[in-house]
Amino acid sequence: MTTLDARPISTPAPDNYLTHTRGLMSWVFTLDHKRIGVMYLFAVLSSFFVGGVMALLVRTKLLFPGEVSWMTADQYNKAFTLHGAIMVFLVIIPSVPAALGNFIMPIMLGAKDVAFPRLNLFSFYLWVLGAICAVWSLLAGGFDTGWTFYTPYSTQFSAGGTIPVLVGVFILGFSSIFTGLNFIVTIHKLRPPGMTWFRMPLFLWAIYATAIIQVLATPVLGITVALLVIERSFNIGIFDPSMGGDPVLFQHFFWFYSHPAVYIMVLPGMGIISDIIAVHSHRHIFGFRFIAFSSIAIAVFSFLVWGHHMFTSGQSPLMNVLFSAITFSVAIPSAVKVFNWLATLYKGSISLNTPMLYGLSFIFLFTIGGLTGIPLAVISTDIHLHDTYFVVAHFHYVMMGSALIAMIGGLHHWWPKMFGVMYSEFWGRIGCALVFVGFNITFFSQFMLGSQGMPRRYYQYQPEFQIYHHISTGGSYIMGLGFVITAIYLIHSLFAGKKAPANPWGGASLEWQCSSPPPHDNFATTPRVGDCYDFSAVRWDEKEQGYVVDTEAHIASANSGKGH
Amino acid sequence: MLNLIPNFLMQAESDKLGSAFTPGLPNTPKTFWLPEGASTIASEIDWIFNFINYINYFFFFLVVSIMLYFVWKYRQKGRDVYARGPSHHLMLELGWTILPTIIVVVIFFMGFRGFIDMRVPPANSYQIDVTAQRFAWSFKYPNGAVSNDLFVPAGQPVKLIMRSEDVLHSLFIRDFRVKQDVVPGRFATLWFQADQPTEGDKFHWVFCTEFCGTGHSLMNSKCFVLPEADFKEWETEQARWLDKIPAEELYFKAGPKLFARCASCHTLDGKLGTGPSWGNYDGTGNVWERNQVGTSRKVDGGKALSDFIGPGKQYETPEGYLRASILNPGEHLSDPYGNAMPTFRGQITDKGIDALIGFMKHLDEFDAKGVWLKAPPAAAATDPAKPAVK
Repeated sequence: MTTLDARPISTPAPDNYLTHTRGLMSWVFTLDHKRIGVMYLFAVLSSFFVGGVMALLVRTKLLFPGEVSWMTADQYNKAFTLHGAIMVFLVIIPSVPAALGNFIMPIMLGAKDVAFPRLNLFSFYLWVLGAICAVWSLLAGGFDTGWTFYTPYSTQFSAGGTIPVLVGVFILGFSSIFTGLNFIVTIHKLRPPGMTWFRMPLFLWAIYATAIIQVLATPVLGITVALLVIERSFNIGIFDPSMGGDPVLFQHFFWFYSHPAVYIMVLPGMGIISDIIAVHSHRHIFGFRFIAFSSIAIAVFSFLVWGHHMFTSGQSPLMNVLFSAITFSVAIPSAVKVFNWLATLYKGSISLNTPMLYGLSFIFLFTIGGLTGIPLAVISTDIHLHDTYFVVAHFHYVMMGSALIAMIGGLHHWWPKMFGVMYSEFWGRIGCALVFVGFNITFFSQFMLGSQGMPRRYYQYQPEFQIYHHISTGGSYIMGLGFVITAIYLIHSLFAGKKAPANPWGGASLEWQCSSPPPHDNFATTPRVGDCYDFSAVRWDEKEQGYVVDTEAHIASANSGKGH
Repeated sequence: MLNLIPNFLMQAESDKLGSAFTPGLPNTPKTFWLPEGASTIASEIDWIFNFINYINYFFFFLVVSIMLYFVWKYRQKGRDVYARGPSHHLMLELGWTILPTIIVVVIFFMGFRGFIDMRVPPANSYQIDVTAQRFAWSFKYPNGAVSNDLFVPAGQPVKLIMRSEDVLHSLFIRDFRVKQDVVPGRFATLWFQADQPTEGDKFHWVFCTEFCGTGHSLMNSKCFVLPEADFKEWETEQARWLDKIPAEELYFKAGPKLFARCASCHTLDGKLGTGPSWGNYDGTGNVWERNQVGTSRKVDGGKALSDFIGPGKQYETPEGYLRASILNPGEHLSDPYGNAMPTFRGQITDKGIDALIGFMKHLDEFDAKGVWLKAPPAAAATDPAKPAVK
């Protein structure tokens, strides 16, 4: 039996973060990053459920080309708006950084907590406040602007719940900024000795790149929605041309945030995938530096491409051309990542556990999502495809097929660590297969729908499009079933799951070296850091029913310079 | 893919010769990915789209087949196997950074070229003014003719000068591969040239693709391409059609046609739309009688139509109220409707207003879709779908 840095695996800590203190108040006022992460996780997954129900309602309506008695055009507009706003602001943006990142990041880093635990808790309650605003908006009549809040529709015509939801978005923005700030400081200041930048797991690189975008871009969103509220409340002309404003200015402001926000959503997912692919292939990640720097490159380029959302808006043709050219710069680091993941599979020892199935699904879906971005970045073809279902399909492949699939993959990867239980591997694979198949049926058909000319946000449509809508809706039910099964076996595992070993997959990064679930303070002593992608010292242990890391050999291997 | 190249080159050639050169391109048929191509730029756009598609197929199958092959070939054999794959290879990584860079630069220039072709209207373009309002398009021709559907001459470049009366709209003619947002407070332009006239009852859809509210999905028109001579005739006829109708026949000849513009918000059978129905809520009578006898439904104690009309009220007669409501809709709203209707000042003549008021007076002679029930059976049959006055 090997001795670890923190505690011997065979003698788990006397208690863990779940049992350390008890009672409701110990959760409400907790400063433990792990508990805050778990609360985020619960909140985000609940919102995901609500947003998913909205999506299924919208898809069910679209089975019929004409009016349906159970959903009016206004209700339909509110349903797709709510779906988009919930999924973007309440689910995807906080899902990986705030939920998984909060839990895993400090442990992976070898820290006891984030740099500012109180700020962390405050971020969570800001999220809750933002979610309450969304509910307030529903009580005030809902909102029907689409998640983009384009003016002057949003200031003149949209339903009564528009101001509450804008207030909610403003507050959620601060939640996101504080989380980003906290993570940047944590990664800079709380790395233990030996945890150099190039020994840091790629998930942390991704979280770090994301945090930079969160801190720099989100304030613009805050200002923009604040101006919108001012215009709508006090009739001050900022974006409304009838009062001397400029509606295209709003689009610039909005996309200056919302394009980088796409990378707030997908970058952490890419980080998760880098870790999942390496751990489940039991071999060193290929091209660590290329992947790490491509995350930073994406974060930087993401600020320069917002105008590609506005090729048809009437902005000057010169700007269209420039934005089109710069947009391609994002394609390159994304392609580099995919090739590096593939090369990581080469000569690996690949185990097809549920997290790895999600990881491979991600490569498949992100490849489609990325490649279909090319005709949208090319101006002349984008003119035809803009605001059609082609765009809808493309961004679902990126935001759901990539960002959310990575999040769910990460959830399965770290679930044993978070809750100390194993879920059913059989049902995990079934759930993943259903989600994967359902997703592709749902959204691939929408590429045809869009390139054939079906505009998005249509309540009624021409009968020629019905066949694609039928396929798409059928797929969405399969995907829904997959998620229901996933929810059932995950919840079941909490009560009846097999006890998880400290290291079920054979990972070499620090989080696998403390017990499952982790103790309250993560590490009793400062951990010693090796190369987190060097699996040469990882062995399967029958007695543990898990993997163990021979720390001395691990450190020695890293120091011998065999790593990168 | 290869059979598309000649068209693509021909398009480039036409630029050099100047816009007067009209090769008379045939339409391209609907394919698995793309709808019918019916404008002179469509074949170039489609060529780029297909070209990108083939590149995408190649890389997609490359990535997925490599992935599946590795997953099968390097599957885990025994739990204790740790794998010793290479951790990096500089030349390989530089290679797959540089190769995509070259490919996207090439693709960018192709798209750039196509975009310039789309953006620069030839000098001899035929100009049509477009007004976008929630939830309909209105097209105004140089001779003063106005229509709800778009009629264009074949073989001639057409330039649309577009403005919006309220929120953002976007004009999208998919068969022409053109789209342009219409921003209030600005003029937006768009040009295209369709060489082949639409045949029979065929047409090209004009969609609104920027979300504009409740009736967004109904904000579509039809585009008819007419041979040049037919177009001239249609245009002249369209400019005069209202003047030629005698006053007593206005309500059934002009009323239903004008109502088509109102139908995206107003119904005739009492069903609630974006705006109040012109018919009675119990399905009997019409807006006219409702105002006369004061049976209009009040909602939450707000104003009803009858609160505006009558002796001593703002309007002595319903005609005055209706006229004001068409020209200044925001001034006297009836609950529960907000200020959603745009003004039609400048778009409808006094004779047109007379026709609409007459139409409302005689609603009992029309069915729910505005078809005149007293029409002689023979007259109904001679209404060709296309060039009829709108």
